[in-house]
Amino acid sequence: MNGWRTLLPNTWYIAIREYRGRVRSRSFVIGTVILAVLAFGATQAPILIDAVAGGQTKVEVVVLASSLPSDAQLVLDQALNGTPAPGSSQHKSFDLTWPMSGQLAAAEKDLRDGKVAAVLIIDRDASSSDLVFTLRTDLAADGRPAQSIANAVTSLAVEDRLIRAGTSTAAVLAPTRWEVLPVDSSSAAPVKSIDQEVSSALLSTGLVVLIFMAIITYGTWVAMSVAEEKGSRVMELMLNATTPLQMLAGKVIGNGAAGLTQYGAIIGAVLVGLVVQGPLHKAALGGSDSGVAVSGLTVPLLASFMVLFALGFLLYSLLYAALGSLVSRQEDVQSATSPLMMLVMVGYFLSIAAVQAVTETWVVVLSFVPFFSPYLMLARVAGGHVELWEFGLAVVLMLVSIAVALFLAARIYSAGVLLYGQRVGLRQLVKMARVSR
Amino acid sequence: MSLIIDSVSKRFGEVQALEGVSLEIKPGEVFGFLGANGAGKTTAMRVVLDILRADSGTITWNGTLNSDVPRQTWGYLPEERGLYAKMNVLEQLVFFAKLHGVPGKAAEREVRDWLERFRIPEYAGRRAEQLSKGNQQKVQFIAAILHDPQVLLMDEPFTGLDPVNVALLKEAFLEMKDRGKTLIFSTHHMETVEELCQAIAILDRGRVVVGGAVRDVRRSTGRQVVRLAVDGDLEVAWLGTLDGVRVSRRGQDYTEAEVAPGHDPELVLREALRRGRRVLHFEIADPSLEEIFIEHVGQIDSSERTLAPKAVHA
Repeated sequence: MNGWRTLLPNTWYIAIREYRGRVRSRSFVIGTVILAVLAFGATQAPILIDAVAGGQTKVEVVVLASSLPSDAQLVLDQALNGTPAPGSSQHKSFDLTWPMSGQLAAAEKDLRDGKVAAVLIIDRDASSSDLVFTLRTDLAADGRPAQSIANAVTSLAVEDRLIRAGTSTAAVLAPTRWEVLPVDSSSAAPVKSIDQEVSSALLSTGLVVLIFMAIITYGTWVAMSVAEEKGSRVMELMLNATTPLQMLAGKVIGNGAAGLTQYGAIIGAVLVGLVVQGPLHKAALGGSDSGVAVSGLTVPLLASFMVLFALGFLLYSLLYAALGSLVSRQEDVQSATSPLMMLVMVGYFLSIAAVQAVTETWVVVLSFVPFFSPYLMLARVAGGHVELWEFGLAVVLMLVSIAVALFLAARIYSAGVLLYGQRVGLRQLVKMARVSR
Repeated sequence: MSLIIDSVSKRFGEVQALEGVSLEIKPGEVFGFLGANGAGKTTAMRVVLDILRADSGTITWNGTLNSDVPRQTWGYLPEERGLYAKMNVLEQLVFFAKLHGVPGKAAEREVRDWLERFRIPEYAGRRAEQLSKGNQQKVQFIAAILHDPQVLLMDEPFTGLDPVNVALLKEAFLEMKDRGKTLIFSTHHMETVEELCQAIAILDRGRVVVGGAVRDVRRSTGRQVVRLAVDGDLEVAWLGTLDGVRVSRRGQDYTEAEVAPGHDPELVLREALRRGRRVLHFEIADPSLEEIFIEHVGQIDSSERTLAPKAVHA
């Protein structure tokens, strides 16, 4: 077959043409800009979340009771804001101010003027000598701030009773021994923090979504480009100049490169977003620049992502090209490629479920099926439960199936591109794959 | 040293597109494929180009199987015209040339040269979709010849062009012929064939019904045609009464009649002179290709004839 001899230059020319045509198109430019802006916006989401949920509740505490435990301020503050980890400047949910005792009128004025969200009045019951607390506020009585304050004042009241019963302040406030251990208590690994856990789940879901989007979007580009050539009838000119194999390879590479360009723009926007996130956070909300670090993004994970991304795209886009060659109008591409779309969707949903259960048998088995490997193997790698040979096996299986797909796609393609206005059924498809031209 | 099509057959499902087609096309020849729509002309070209593969039979160019012949050997103008709509003319012509192994610089020079010759140099930077159909067709012709192919196959190259452009294209045709290229084209238009072709094949339902040098094809029936005009006797009513003579057309300038094989056309002249009139016009000719075509294939569909533009004689 003399197609192999000129495979390289012609595939290269076709890939360049595809790439330029795609990247210069208006839909590509607009799509990329929109996606980049969205990605940048997403990196700034923590600022928005902090601004909405992380605000402080300002409370003025008015003490009418004659005497309070000497450490009342410390007790309330710790009960409301938690114990800060050593060395961290933790965000405080409550801002307590303690004016001179008895300034009830002034505090009520501040409340009416909106300077504070609540006024906490501490008094002492004359008959029982117990502390009595009153919260003056328009915050919901069963809302989180009100409930937190209720818990805090209970601690204070208990302490007050103990002290009155004769226990020393030091004994009451002696720190509680408290430790968190993993299920497997012999494991040396430290217990995960909530940040790590959320981050790793988000990360594997995010990477799976990236692959999923790439296959659907860029695979459809390949199919569209085939149908366009067929629809504009330039196909016959191309068939004389090149071979179906060259066209297939060129299209997959060209569109893949255009897809990577778009991804590059998006990832660039994310990186810029992460860099400016801290300073922006500081400027918008004040306080520390607490950028969300992406934890769990290790080099092996990134490398396996790139390998699976490339192989997954190759495998699927070859099939997209073959199906695209069966229709002659771009409008029909959607329906022609819908079986493939189903397959991609199935893999995607499986992997979303798998993120939570990377050690289950069905996940392990399916992660070796070439059509699902890009997702499931990735989820397993992100979950940290994959041996090197397992990953290698999945890659080899994908490479084999890519070779088979290339062979079948070239056959279907060379038969399909000269068919106009016919509906192609499964039986014909099989026949086309068996006999060349 | 020629293009040899040897008993090639091709079937699409129920349709026998080609059936035992055998032809020899000599290098440097201009060869015409004639036939009604669906006769198998396009399939024949695609099979020669190895875009389609024959069910049986072989095709060789200078002794090499067509599947082993380098692709640059062939230039092809498909019947279904198509260009990349969003790509500009220069870029896509250079692209096509590069696919055939022409270096980019040389290709660009060649493209500009041809655009100039076809009087559309200002379209180099335009997108293909902005061009008129006729101009797109010229661009496609350029795409077919940029890599200087040895054999040029063109499916209905003149269809859809105005007379000026037909003349331009014919000029390019003749130049390719002078450069020693082999030209193969299909058409419905007999006058163009008679003007340009040395050899033809008439296809009907996948078979070659008659083929060979144009002169031989015209003589193949054994009939001859006489054209006669007699002073003062426009009707020449007696013509049809002669043995073996059948009036085929009456015109203002002369009357045309067919003389059956084995009859001497000069009898007509002798009879005219015997009747004592002055003979203004007398001509003995072979039947036209159109007559032969109709005889073999039947009446050409009238819609096809109106689609084909009248060629001007350059």
